[in-house]
Amino acid sequence: MTDTQQPTADAQEAAKSRVGRRGFFGFFTFLVGAVVGLVPLTVAGIALFDPLRRKAAQKTYTRIVALDAVPDDGLPHRFDVVRERVDAWNRYPAEPVGAVYLVRKPGQKKPTAFTATCPHAGCFIGYTPGDDKFQCPCHTSAYHFDGTRIGGKVSVAPRGMDTLDVDVRPASTADAGGPQEVWVRFERFETGRHEKIALS
Amino acid sequence: MKQLLDWVEHRTGIGSLMRAALYENIPGGARWRYVWGSTLVVAFFTQVVTGLVLWMSYSPSTQTAWESVYYIQYEMPCGWLLRGVHHYSAHAMVVLLALHLAQVVIDGAYRAPREFNFWIGLVLMLIVLGMSLTGYLLPWDQKGYWATTVATNLMNQAPGGGALRKLVIGGADYGHHTLTRFFAMHAGVLPALLVCFLVLHVALFRRHGLTARNPARRPDAKFWPDQVLRDAVACLAVLAVVLGLTLWMGSDLGAPADPASNYAAARPEWYFLFLFQFLKYFPGKSETIGAIVVPGLVMLVLFLMPLWGRWRVGHALNVSFLIVLLCAIGWLTFRATSDDYYAQWYGEDESTPAGVEATPSTHSDRLAKSREFLAAKHEAQLASDRAVELAGSPRKIPPTGALAMLRDDTKTQGRALFRQHCAVCHAFKDATGKDSSRDVHSNDVSASNLYGFASRQWIAGLLDPARVDSDHYFGLTAFKDGDMVDWVKENIGEVADEDRAAITADVQKVAAAVSAEAVLPSQADLEQHDAEKIAAGRKLITEDFSCIDCHKFHDDGELGMAPDLTGYGSRDWLVEFISSPEHERFYPDTNDRMPKFADPDRPDQHRLTAGQIEMIADWLRGDWYRPPDGKADTGSTEE
Repeated sequence: MTDTQQPTADAQEAAKSRVGRRGFFGFFTFLVGAVVGLVPLTVAGIALFDPLRRKAAQKTYTRIVALDAVPDDGLPHRFDVVRERVDAWNRYPAEPVGAVYLVRKPGQKKPTAFTATCPHAGCFIGYTPGDDKFQCPCHTSAYHFDGTRIGGKVSVAPRGMDTLDVDVRPASTADAGGPQEVWVRFERFETGRHEKIALS
Repeated sequence: MKQLLDWVEHRTGIGSLMRAALYENIPGGARWRYVWGSTLVVAFFTQVVTGLVLWMSYSPSTQTAWESVYYIQYEMPCGWLLRGVHHYSAHAMVVLLALHLAQVVIDGAYRAPREFNFWIGLVLMLIVLGMSLTGYLLPWDQKGYWATTVATNLMNQAPGGGALRKLVIGGADYGHHTLTRFFAMHAGVLPALLVCFLVLHVALFRRHGLTARNPARRPDAKFWPDQVLRDAVACLAVLAVVLGLTLWMGSDLGAPADPASNYAAARPEWYFLFLFQFLKYFPGKSETIGAIVVPGLVMLVLFLMPLWGRWRVGHALNVSFLIVLLCAIGWLTFRATSDDYYAQWYGEDESTPAGVEATPSTHSDRLAKSREFLAAKHEAQLASDRAVELAGSPRKIPPTGALAMLRDDTKTQGRALFRQHCAVCHAFKDATGKDSSRDVHSNDVSASNLYGFASRQWIAGLLDPARVDSDHYFGLTAFKDGDMVDWVKENIGEVADEDRAAITADVQKVAAAVSAEAVLPSQADLEQHDAEKIAAGRKLITEDFSCIDCHKFHDDGELGMAPDLTGYGSRDWLVEFISSPEHERFYPDTNDRMPKFADPDRPDQHRLTAGQIEMIADWLRGDWYRPPDGKADTGSTEE
């Protein structure tokens, strides 16, 4: 009896030891595997999600045109927004980065500025001289000259055209009372939303 | 040989693997309806091969993407074929996917135990569509750029979509990282996923075997050679279609992407047109339903098909749903296309055509929008052709990229500047319709038509009593009743019949002389040949016609009453005139609405830069780069 029990107890002890050893090995393998796997995954994740920390272009005022060049006829006049920009590893000298429509009602000094980006899906809103509206070429969005949607709530556009902050400043070389120019704070907004939210 | 094969077999088991694959049993025998899966695999293989070679020449950045694709398309031996096969195989894959899906659903091949394989198939379909979407942007041309802009902006409508958009495009704005990310998705992440799921798909297909719709119709057959032959023939047919489309239509390359340009022909590829059209029916707040909810629900129904498809009614519902879905996609695609090509399909008739379901108001609305689209498409084609023409010039593409090259091009940018700043009043339209490619559309013309300005024809028209006060010249301006109109009508219009031929000949000489002042590139040869005629015209200007009574012409006459004819229409003359029309050389007292575009005394107050004015002047004169073989338009104003 004792002879037969003794090997069994030894075997159990050995098995326990093996299990403990195996468990330790298993745990340690998992730990090593986690470290080996997590390091590249974490590094890759940081790089992958890097765009989330990047900010939109600076929302500074940009000179658009001389005030005299915007007739106070209540009609839209398109102007390029020309300024420097940075794209990852490049800094570009001043070049067109977008466009605005300036509308100046009769007798009005400060024009209203609309960005040419459609608030629906981001297409470039068009205006042909002689037309009585702005028309987006992509879907069916169309806008009055005051930027409101033609068709109101039945328009596919979620909101009217986005206005931009305008500043009329004396020309840098002008004396007091001299020529003035139009500056616009050019920025982009989230499309497809009812609220006008600046891209951050 | 047998010993070698046995040696390989013993060590790899490849022979038995091939036998298992090739001699799989097909219940009911081989059929044509089973070919779609194989054609898809072969199409994908084609994409991998052509894609890898394209990769070897492609460079994903905003300054090199278009440029490298241009090189592949136009300069690399067989690059056009390589790109065409890649392009149209991608289109073929979408069609084959639809056929494969339809065959699987109609045959009930999603039923237990094949549910997982069906789901994997749907995942594969989404991956292929993702590859199509990401591949569209890679040439970084206008159509890819604007279509991707729309697609990525629609992400904003999903919860957390703003962050997702940033992740996809690599920041808040489109740029280098948009391309690197799309390229990584297109050539790395998605193909890797596709291979993984494809292996699973094929493995599960082998595990469960083929689903025969009517297995008792014929004796069983083996995959090799009966079905393989059919598959091979189908693959050949697909390849023939792909090659045919490549040869017939080619794969186009639009102008380089320009975020600041008014690109009005933005459309997705044809297989996403139905989604584009679908969005038009969801105004304002309901758009999320069209952009996110409905497509999401459709995918959900497709994924759930196997669950209720085990019952006969459920299967019938699935088949019906698929048919309705495909019909809806077909109808939306047709509708989007017919909206865009309405003016082309139904002519230019303002009245509602028979058989078209449209009220007069919607007819005119569709006609107007279609005209705008077709005009925009035409403009896009011109810009594209020009970009290719410039890239192929001896100067090639500068290191600053093709967009900078195009922005410096007189032919396209001069036209764009004219449209923006001059077409508010002036027309630019070839009245004969022979050179309509340069026409600039305007709805509100109130000044002269400057097409062919300062050319012999243009000057001769100005001296034509029947035309001088027409809308083409002074008819819409304050000069309609001016001295010039009176002079032309009296001195040229009211001559005796016997003097008619002589005065007509003299007018031609004067026109030649005034026009020679412009030194137009298109008239260089003519003027060399007509030296005597021009000399005679100059004499007439100072003597018989007495133009110098009002105009200055070299050493004769005085400034102040009418425009200086010295150097009339030349580059310097035009630059000075556009800069300051009220200068004493032009209209110091009688200027009719023409604004001053630049003031030398107030450089910070200019409307146009000196470079822009020079570009407009050059464009009006038709003075721009032309390829040496003269294949492209000559810009000539001579007819």
